[in-house]
Amino acid sequence: MADEEISAALPVSTEAKKRRAPKELYIGALLLLLLLSTILLLCRRCARLTSPELPIVERRNWLIHQHYIRKDYDTCKAIIKEQLQETNGTCEYGIYVQALIMRLEGKIQQSLELFQSCAILNPSSADNLKQVARSLFLLGKHKAAIEFYHEAARLNEKDWEISHNLGLCYFFIKDLKHAEEQLNIALRINKHDKTFMMLGKVHLLAGETDKAAEVLRTAVEFSPENTELLTTLGLLFLQLGKYQKAFEHLGNALTFDPNNYKAILAAGSMMQTHGDFDVAMNKYRVAACAVPESPPLWNNIGMCFFGKKKYVAAISCLKRAHYMSPFDWKVLYNLGLVHLTMQQFASAFHFLSAAINLNPRVGELYMLLAVALTNLEDVENATRAYEQAATIDESNPLVNLNFAIFLYNHGDKKATLDQYQEMERKVNLLRDSNSTFEFDPELMDMAQKMGAALQVTEGLAWTKPAKDSKSKPSSAAATNAPGPPLGTNQALGQAMSSAASYGKSLQQPAGAAEGSPAPLEPEPDAERAPSPPTGPPGSPKPAESENPRPRTSKRKSKAEE
Amino acid sequence: MTPVEPHADGGGKWLDAHYDPVAGLHTFSSCVDLADLSGDGESRLVVGDLGSGSSGMKLKVYRGTALTSESTLLDLPAGLVAFFMDLHEPRIPAVAVASGPCVYVYKNLRPYFKFTLPGLEVNSLEQDVWQQAREGQIDPLTLREMLESIRKTAEVPLSVRSLRFLSLEAGDMDEFVQLHKQQPIRRQTVITCIGTLKKSTADEDGVSCLVIGTESSEVFVLDPEAFIILSKMSLPAAPTMMDVTGQFDVEFRITAACRNGNIYILRRDFDKPKYSIELSSHPVGLVRIGKNVVVGCTDESLQGFTQKGKKLWKAVLTAPITTLASMDLPTRGFQAVLVGLANCEVHLYQDKNLLSIIKTPDVVTSICFGRYGREDGTLVLTTKGGGLMVKILKRTAALDQREGAPGPPASQSVRLNVPKKTKLYVDQTLRERESGVAMHRAFQMDLSRLRLSAAKSYVEALECSLTPMSSSEPLKMNAVVQGLGPAFKLTLNIQNTAARRPAVNLGVSFLYDEGLYRMRNPYMRIPLLVPGLVYPVETFVECTSDKGISDIIKVFVLHEGRSSPLLTAHINMPISEGLTL
Repeated sequence: MADEEISAALPVSTEAKKRRAPKELYIGALLLLLLLSTILLLCRRCARLTSPELPIVERRNWLIHQHYIRKDYDTCKAIIKEQLQETNGTCEYGIYVQALIMRLEGKIQQSLELFQSCAILNPSSADNLKQVARSLFLLGKHKAAIEFYHEAARLNEKDWEISHNLGLCYFFIKDLKHAEEQLNIALRINKHDKTFMMLGKVHLLAGETDKAAEVLRTAVEFSPENTELLTTLGLLFLQLGKYQKAFEHLGNALTFDPNNYKAILAAGSMMQTHGDFDVAMNKYRVAACAVPESPPLWNNIGMCFFGKKKYVAAISCLKRAHYMSPFDWKVLYNLGLVHLTMQQFASAFHFLSAAINLNPRVGELYMLLAVALTNLEDVENATRAYEQAATIDESNPLVNLNFAIFLYNHGDKKATLDQYQEMERKVNLLRDSNSTFEFDPELMDMAQKMGAALQVTEGLAWTKPAKDSKSKPSSAAATNAPGPPLGTNQALGQAMSSAASYGKSLQQPAGAAEGSPAPLEPEPDAERAPSPPTGPPGSPKPAESENPRPRTSKRKSKAEE
Repeated sequence: MTPVEPHADGGGKWLDAHYDPVAGLHTFSSCVDLADLSGDGESRLVVGDLGSGSSGMKLKVYRGTALTSESTLLDLPAGLVAFFMDLHEPRIPAVAVASGPCVYVYKNLRPYFKFTLPGLEVNSLEQDVWQQAREGQIDPLTLREMLESIRKTAEVPLSVRSLRFLSLEAGDMDEFVQLHKQQPIRRQTVITCIGTLKKSTADEDGVSCLVIGTESSEVFVLDPEAFIILSKMSLPAAPTMMDVTGQFDVEFRITAACRNGNIYILRRDFDKPKYSIELSSHPVGLVRIGKNVVVGCTDESLQGFTQKGKKLWKAVLTAPITTLASMDLPTRGFQAVLVGLANCEVHLYQDKNLLSIIKTPDVVTSICFGRYGREDGTLVLTTKGGGLMVKILKRTAALDQREGAPGPPASQSVRLNVPKKTKLYVDQTLRERESGVAMHRAFQMDLSRLRLSAAKSYVEALECSLTPMSSSEPLKMNAVVQGLGPAFKLTLNIQNTAARRPAVNLGVSFLYDEGLYRMRNPYMRIPLLVPGLVYPVETFVECTSDKGISDIIKVFVLHEGRSSPLLTAHINMPISEGLTL
């Protein structure tokens, strides 16, 4: 590109020079009249008689820059073209800006070539090398970019940009150790939000969540109004389970930017966790204006409606989320859950089996599937689903309790007892690991009933059971009242907090914010289910073919990896 | 932040005094100033007009709504300032226009003095080489080689002459050397920005020094009377904008935004920057408000810094910035920043709070606020299309209140667009509740039947080799039909996918409706197939019907001596678009 211009400029430039000479004479005459500094003028005239004065190469640089920063690229290009013609292509800054504009226009390869010609014109400038490296970086040639950055660093040691970009290059070639090192150097030279952000990412990728949180905390101290940093830190705290801190940072982010989509989603999901569905909904309205096509947002809105017992609206919203992101198992999970609540067991079955096909490693999914199958009077497959759920799940006592109820209803006392003990083990484990863990009163109530039915001695100590049942008597009563069999809001909340904690990593912060898969309260279903199915459940063959078999699920999980 | 309605057009704070959309003024904020040029107490507008960018550069003076004076400038003005250069009465300021390497000083709008920047240091090696050329000791080619080597190694860059010489073709070099060799080598630089600095008193009409930033990354302070360089400071990069405060004899600060995207702060008695601010994008405008520096950046943000370079705040704007100017009303003790945006708006910011928005008919390229005529609060704007706009701040205008008070964004009250469900949906839901079990079983039954029939047809297809992938022989085939009709060319690409065993004794046969198509050779032998290679087998098909119908042609790959095909492909023939002759 540049070469073309230069070759084209050759004939024109001489012409321009000729044209200039008389004009300058005229100018000289003007000066004669105006300035009265005759001596100087005589000298100039003498000079002009022998040789035309060459224009200064850099004389339009300021103008090029002025137009460039005002993003007036067309004018800028016109001036550069003129200037390159005048100077025979030696105007370094002109070429430099031309290359910058080209890069903005997406012509990275051409810009790289122009920057290289800049580097030839002025080999001692670190800036030119930096831009060459930047273009290489944008072309994905990270190793070559690193070389050029190192070369630039030799010319200019104390430049945070070089170190920062080196860190970026190393990050992309997965050399996290070097990336961290370079980013730290960049931070020592000068603190920039970008660098903090990047360093946080590097730490996260290396799995050092604590370090990442530390870096982001310093970053937030350094620039307390950067909503991106605040949101990232908030989400990180959310991941680490520090809900208080997470909420604080997300709230700050929302103060500075009430339209911050990520923060809204994360904060909204936390509000949902605590049952503040109306407040969460208010926030979501803002987000829905900003990002109307976000699947996690509609998922969360749907679960808000669910929490407010507006099931039809919930289904509408969830279906929209599902339409926009058909392969998101969490949306399917929620759809299954809501349909279970609506006693649409056949639909629930489809959503849940779809979810299992997408993510066969979640015990709760199998449990819900089992509940659906129980209601569809398919005992055989329900048993299999429960078994699968019990094998996969590690910590949720609900799975075992449901299984126990199911087995009890079908008269298998011994297996019931096994499941009950497994549930006790999980409860104890949860209580020991986290003293503040609050169990759902309905879960406790049901477990106690179960224990009584099994004539097990009261060996299970729930944490602060008395307090709990006192604080939430109304909700427990509400669920036991007729209505659809549904878990209390608190159960939902609990489930959501657990969901939030296993939300996706920080690279997809929206993912962390979504996820309110809330396990359904089991006992009404189990109790209502006619104890043994009256007849043989249809033809067993078709059900079996659709039933989530462990074998297929294993295969799926492998394929996913 | 979404602007709230009431102050959408400046809230009626401004009176439209004058608007001339075809004033033909093309300029930047750095080339506009307001000054009382005749000493009659009435301020004039002085504009350095850039004209078309290559011609028509003019110094224009407006009084009221009329252009009163116009004089031609020699080169593009990089900056223009009005300043008091002496103590003579009446107090009439001079106008300094920086263009190229010179500052032209006008007094009473007549050219008064021209200051030229001192030349830059010339590379001594370069000088020697040209000396030798002058004396005829070396020919142009040697000169070229020597200059080339100097350019690669030297600390001091080459002069314009040498650079031009190096870019010449071999034929033109001799002439060039003859023309230029007698002249001494000079290296000139150009002025990029200009400002004023009070000499010794802070008075409004005190004598001021000129402060000049150059392309060679230097800042000069000039004596207003003798025009000698009082002080010389250097920056790490070429300055693009400057803001100067203080007095030269006491203490001063020069805040210079540079082309490398950084801002440097120079102080008296330091020839290097004392503080620096590293921005993440280029600064477009730089204004000092009180002790703080407000910078508008290309990333559509307005940032505030202390004069030591500590970041205070950042406001995100709605459009790219075109220019920045300060609005200073000492009588009201009010200071704010006017930000011209590319979306035809001028925003007034006090710190990070948006106070008001002025809508303009065109994109504003320069803003100047100050005393014009006899009115203190006048806003002068020029637009991209060359228009000139003058607005007067109403004396009743309340500027202090914070209108952009934080509150819930407007979108919070917008109702959620939740899809409605139909009655049919509700009915279906009820039906599912009633007979869910039956539905489920029926579905499962049908599903398994579907699967069974799919599996059956699959097995059948495999058994009869009805697919283009063979199950018995490692063969693959695809077919391409070319042509518009009635003649088509049918190409079958056959590939032997075995690891090493070649396939032999194969043939291709076709099955088609003979009433519709005619084929040149309905049976073809296939040569030996070497593994891995694709063999195109071509034949021609002619459509004999003119009814615009098409049919399927079946292709069989056969093994000699066996009746069942190895592969089968069904080709959907396109409709013949041509007519049979």
